[in-house]
Amino acid sequence: MPIPISQMWTVASYVLKQKFQGRERYPLVLMLEPLFRCNLACAGCGKIQYPAHILKTNLSVEDCMKAVDECGAPMVSIPGGEPLMHPQIDEIVNGLVARKKYIYLCTNALLLKEKLHLFRPSKYLTFSVHMDGQKEHHDLSVCKEGGYEIAAEAIKVAVKGGFRVTTNTTLFDGADPQSVRDFFDDMTALGVEGMMFSPGYSYDKAPDQQHFLGKEKTRQLFQTILSNRKSEWYFNLSPLFLEYLMGQRNYSCTPWGMPTYNMFGWQKPCYLLQDGYADTFAELMEETEWANYGEESGNPKCANCMVHSGFEASAVHDTFNSWSGFLATVRGTLFSKYPNKAALNMLNKPSKHPEKLVQLETKQEERTGVGA
Amino acid sequence: MSVEARENLQGQTWQLASDEELRLGLEKAFDYRGDVTITRRDGTAIAGYLFDRKTGKTLSESLVRIIPTGTTQRVSLPYTDIAGLVFSGRDTAAGKSWEAWVKKYNEKKQAGEVQIELLPESLEDE
Repeated sequence: MPIPISQMWTVASYVLKQKFQGRERYPLVLMLEPLFRCNLACAGCGKIQYPAHILKTNLSVEDCMKAVDECGAPMVSIPGGEPLMHPQIDEIVNGLVARKKYIYLCTNALLLKEKLHLFRPSKYLTFSVHMDGQKEHHDLSVCKEGGYEIAAEAIKVAVKGGFRVTTNTTLFDGADPQSVRDFFDDMTALGVEGMMFSPGYSYDKAPDQQHFLGKEKTRQLFQTILSNRKSEWYFNLSPLFLEYLMGQRNYSCTPWGMPTYNMFGWQKPCYLLQDGYADTFAELMEETEWANYGEESGNPKCANCMVHSGFEASAVHDTFNSWSGFLATVRGTLFSKYPNKAALNMLNKPSKHPEKLVQLETKQEERTGVGA
Repeated sequence: MSVEARENLQGQTWQLASDEELRLGLEKAFDYRGDVTITRRDGTAIAGYLFDRKTGKTLSESLVRIIPTGTTQRVSLPYTDIAGLVFSGRDTAAGKSWEAWVKKYNEKKQAGEVQIELLPESLEDE
């Protein structure tokens, strides 16, 4: 199932409005982190490494609404921590629906079945379930055996209940392309609306700075995974962002495209780096020295980053900024197979790491972090 | 940087004999994943999570921001007001590398354990 037309129209009209207003920098998706606490303890996650008094703090509903109104983005992603652990998550969602924001509530789904009754199906609400691959890979990645079954069951229940459900996957070095494609089949069979994914990125403050993908490896991996696509797969990502991951086009980062708000304030400069905080959205936009970030800046923290939160907005901007970008988007939507014999050969090569559970361990490159 | 290569700051009292040491110490405190205790020039202390720093050309133009333990307030402290810095809280990022998890997982698997998982730490301990 593709993204609803009403959502596409909302985003398209918003972006065109910014363009006609001559606004150089504008947000596309607000990353609203209402808490950092989580019911998983993933080894690679830097979002949950805080003292107890920080982890116990929840943003109030009022703070969340104020941030949403300040930002003005048409879409709101609610990551965390685990948002379903927030005692007023239903009120936050209701407030956003009332504002006609398209919400992606990012969850590991451990609590989804239990909390589903708090929500009503709406075109504005999507549960974006964190799934890091097939069962063994996902369980190892989230450091919990049995995590996959719980999440898969919750997806089934939510889909059956009429909710919009997508998946959100982070891919690290050592990912087996064939296993990822099999995972796409599995998620499609569960009935999800679409799938989202991103290469992992090393957080500046993450405890584990190993194994993240360099740019060339990222392109090779996604070229292998996303060429020769099956027609039944749907991705909740811009076709041009997918082409970017496959190495077919190049973009500069748009760090302001998906600004982050949490209990510390507006995070500078982006979802992944923590270089300080602004008290207001206007301060974030006006006082952040944007020239210090992105590959062109020479900032080593940005050198290998290709994540969704930095480059999806660049791809969307490309769609609406030129006829060539628009036509490429149409082409990528209508002709999404991307046949590629070399990629097929790569796919058919036997894996260097036949034991899935040791793939990540055996690589001594960089790894970690959640790509959003 | 893997966790094994992380600088062990927990429990350290940072020497603030020079402006350079002050700036470096506060930069490390900004990166630190535990609480710190800052002593002001008037002798009062404030303990909490240092979540932000704004650095200017001079110390008087620079400040850190802290959320004191047990509050949600954001407290600003100019660099010129800081006389002492201790990495007083536990480093919550220490020992949480991917390698450490896989090692633990394999050991438990070999021991025949099932439903292996890492559990979130209790929030009542601190």
